[in-house]
Amino acid sequence: MQIVSNPAGLLRSGHASHCRRCLIALPSGQVEVDPSRIAVVFYCLGTLDILNQLSTQSLEEEREDWRQWLWEQQISGKYGSGFRPSPYMTPEDFSGTSSSDYDNPHLVMTYTALLSLAILRDDFSKLDRKGILRFLAACQQEDGSFSALPNGGESDLRMLYCAFTISSFLDDWSGIDVDRAIDYVRRCYSYEGGFGQTPNGEALGGTTYCALAALHLVPDTEKYTSKERLTSQERARTVRWLLQNQTSSGGFCGRTNKLADACYCFWCGAALSILGAGDLVDESALSDFLTRCQFKFGGIAKAPGERPDPYHTYLSLAVLSTLPADHAGDESWNLPCLDALWNATEDTAAWARQHIPAKQASAN
Amino acid sequence: MSDLLADDPEWADVTPLRQYENVNPIAPIFYSEEYKDATDYFRAVVKAGEMSPRVLKLTERIIRMNPAHYTAWQHRYKTLIALKADLEEELRLMDDIAKEFMKTYQVWHHRRLLLTAINSVDVAALELIFLRDVLELDTKNYHTWSYRQWILTHFNNEARLWAGERPYAEQLIDADVRNNSAWHHRFFVVFSSGVRLGDEEREVVLRRELSYVKEKISLAPNNASAWNYLRGVLEFTNTPFETLASWVLPYTASQPPAPGEDVVDLDNPLPSDNAELPCVAALEFMADVYEKQGGDATAKAVELWKTLANEKDVIRKKYWEYRIRNALQKS
Repeated sequence: MQIVSNPAGLLRSGHASHCRRCLIALPSGQVEVDPSRIAVVFYCLGTLDILNQLSTQSLEEEREDWRQWLWEQQISGKYGSGFRPSPYMTPEDFSGTSSSDYDNPHLVMTYTALLSLAILRDDFSKLDRKGILRFLAACQQEDGSFSALPNGGESDLRMLYCAFTISSFLDDWSGIDVDRAIDYVRRCYSYEGGFGQTPNGEALGGTTYCALAALHLVPDTEKYTSKERLTSQERARTVRWLLQNQTSSGGFCGRTNKLADACYCFWCGAALSILGAGDLVDESALSDFLTRCQFKFGGIAKAPGERPDPYHTYLSLAVLSTLPADHAGDESWNLPCLDALWNATEDTAAWARQHIPAKQASAN
Repeated sequence: MSDLLADDPEWADVTPLRQYENVNPIAPIFYSEEYKDATDYFRAVVKAGEMSPRVLKLTERIIRMNPAHYTAWQHRYKTLIALKADLEEELRLMDDIAKEFMKTYQVWHHRRLLLTAINSVDVAALELIFLRDVLELDTKNYHTWSYRQWILTHFNNEARLWAGERPYAEQLIDADVRNNSAWHHRFFVVFSSGVRLGDEEREVVLRRELSYVKEKISLAPNNASAWNYLRGVLEFTNTPFETLASWVLPYTASQPPAPGEDVVDLDNPLPSDNAELPCVAALEFMADVYEKQGGDATAKAVELWKTLANEKDVIRKKYWEYRIRNALQKS
C-alpha cells in the first residue's frame, strides 16, 4: 500500500538540523538530562548517522573535538572503567581519569558512548577494555540484574541490556554471569507476553525489546542454549502481544490499552524484528503515524502535535530503517538498514565489530 | 534580594567548585543561575565530605530543580543516615516531591531506601495508603506501581499488606475497566507473587478469577486488558481454552442475543445489549480453540482468521494470514 497522506515525505534536513542544534547546546529547560547527557548525544549523532548527514552537518575538526570530549568521560577507579554521563559532578580542578564515589561510570552512558564513538569512526585505541569488564562485574547484582552505577541506583532490564550489548561489542562475556542474568530476564516475563522492567512488572514495550535483544545477543551456555531461552509458546505469546500494541492510529503503544507513542514504534517494532516477525507489522500504517509525528520545523515528537526531541526523532528513524514501508519511489524515505540488536546502522555496527574487540595477539 | 547560596552568609565558609568542562563540550546545557549556584556548592560539599543539616537543604534545592540528579539523592541519603535523622519525617517531607515528580525514578528509589532502613510493617502499610493518593493522579504510573509491588514482596505481610490489594485493584478496575496496570496488579496479587501460592484452593481461585473477568468482559467486550487477563489465567492454571468455548461463542455473533432467550446464568454472562459485536478478541479466542482441536476444526479457525484479516482487524491482516499459513502447514 502506498502512502499519500504526506506529500512532504520524510523531512530529512529538518530532523538533521534539530539534532545538530541540540549538539551545539541545550536550553536550561533540559536540565534533567544533566545526569544522562551522553545518551542525548547518542540520539543526535545516531539521527545524523541514519540520515547520512554527519559529514554535511559537521566539520572534521568538530568531530575530533567530540571524540575528545567523549574520551574525557571515560574514567577509572576501584570499580573498573566506563563512561560518566558528563562532567556534571566533576570539579573544575579535575585532572586525570580517576573516578570517585560521586563521579562514577554509568552503564547506559558507557553503552551510548561506545556507539557514539563508533558513529564518529573512532579507532578505540583509548578504550580500557579490561577496566570495562571489571565495571560490568561490579554492576551485576545478586539477582542477576545490573544496576546503573557500581555503587547502586536503578537496577532493571534496561541496564542488563546495556551490559549485554557492551559484552557483545567487546566480544568478551567474561565480565558477567550470563546464566544468572538470563534467569533474571526470564523472571521479568509477564502473563501478557511482554517483559516488565523488573520481575512481577507490567509488560512494557521498551523492556521487552531489552529482554529479547539480550537473549539474542548472548552466546549459548551450558544451561541455556538459544532454544531454551524462550519456548515456542512464549515466543508466540510475545509476538501476539507486540502486534496487539499497534493501535488504530498506526503507531505502537508500550502497554495494553495505552496511546501510541513514537518511541514504542521502535521498541515494539525492533522487538518483532528480532523475533523474525517484523514482516507482520503494518509498515504503511506505522510510517503514516510517524509522518504525522513530524514537527514542521524539524524533529519528531512522541505523538502528533507534541514537541519534538532527539530521543523520539532517533527512535522513529530507527524503526523506519528496521521496517521500511513502500513509498513508491519517494527518495526522502531511503534509509540504511539497522542492526536491531545493537541499535546502530549496519555500517556503524560493522565499524564497531572491527574496532571495539581486543586485537588478538599475532601468532609470532 | 538574591536567592543564591553565593550571597547567603550560612555558606560563606565554602568556596564553590565550578563544573569542569573542556573547551568544546558536546550538547552543553545552558544552566540557570540558580542551578549553577547550587551545584557549584554541592560539588564543594561532596568533595569535603560534608554531611550536615544544611546539606539536606542544599540537596532538596537541587532535587526540586532537577529530580533526576542522582548524585544529590545519593548524598542526601548518606547525610540522613549520618545525622541519624528521623526517616519517617523525611518520607513526609518527600511526599509532595513524589507527587510532583512521579515520573522520575530517583524519587521512588529514595523512598525504597528509606523504607528498607525504617524496616517497619506499620510504615509500609502507611506507604500503601500514600500510594493510593499518588496513583489517583496517574493510575497507570509505572514507577509507582513497581514500588508498590516491591513493598508487598519485601515486607510480605498477609494481614497488613497483601489483604487489601485485590479489593484495591478491583476498585481501580471499576473506575476504569481498561486500566491495564490494575489488571496486571490483580494478576500479580493473585498468581505471580510466588510467596502466596497455595494460600487458597487452586480451584476456588480459578473459578473466582474466571467469574470476575467474564463479568468485566460482558460489560465491555472490546477490552484487550480483560482478554489478556483471561488468557493469562487459563494459561497459568493449565486450563484449556476450550472449556470456555460455549461462553465465548455469543461474543463472536454479530448481535447480542435476543432478551429472554436464555435463563440468566451468572457464571456465564452474555454480552450486554449495547455491546459492539462481534468482538475481535472473541473471534481470536475461538480460532485458537479450533486450531488446538485440529482436524476438521482447522477450517473453522481459518474462516475466523479471514474475517479478522479482511474485516474486523485489518491492521493485523499480515498476522492473521500468518496464523492461517501456520495452521495449514501443521494440519
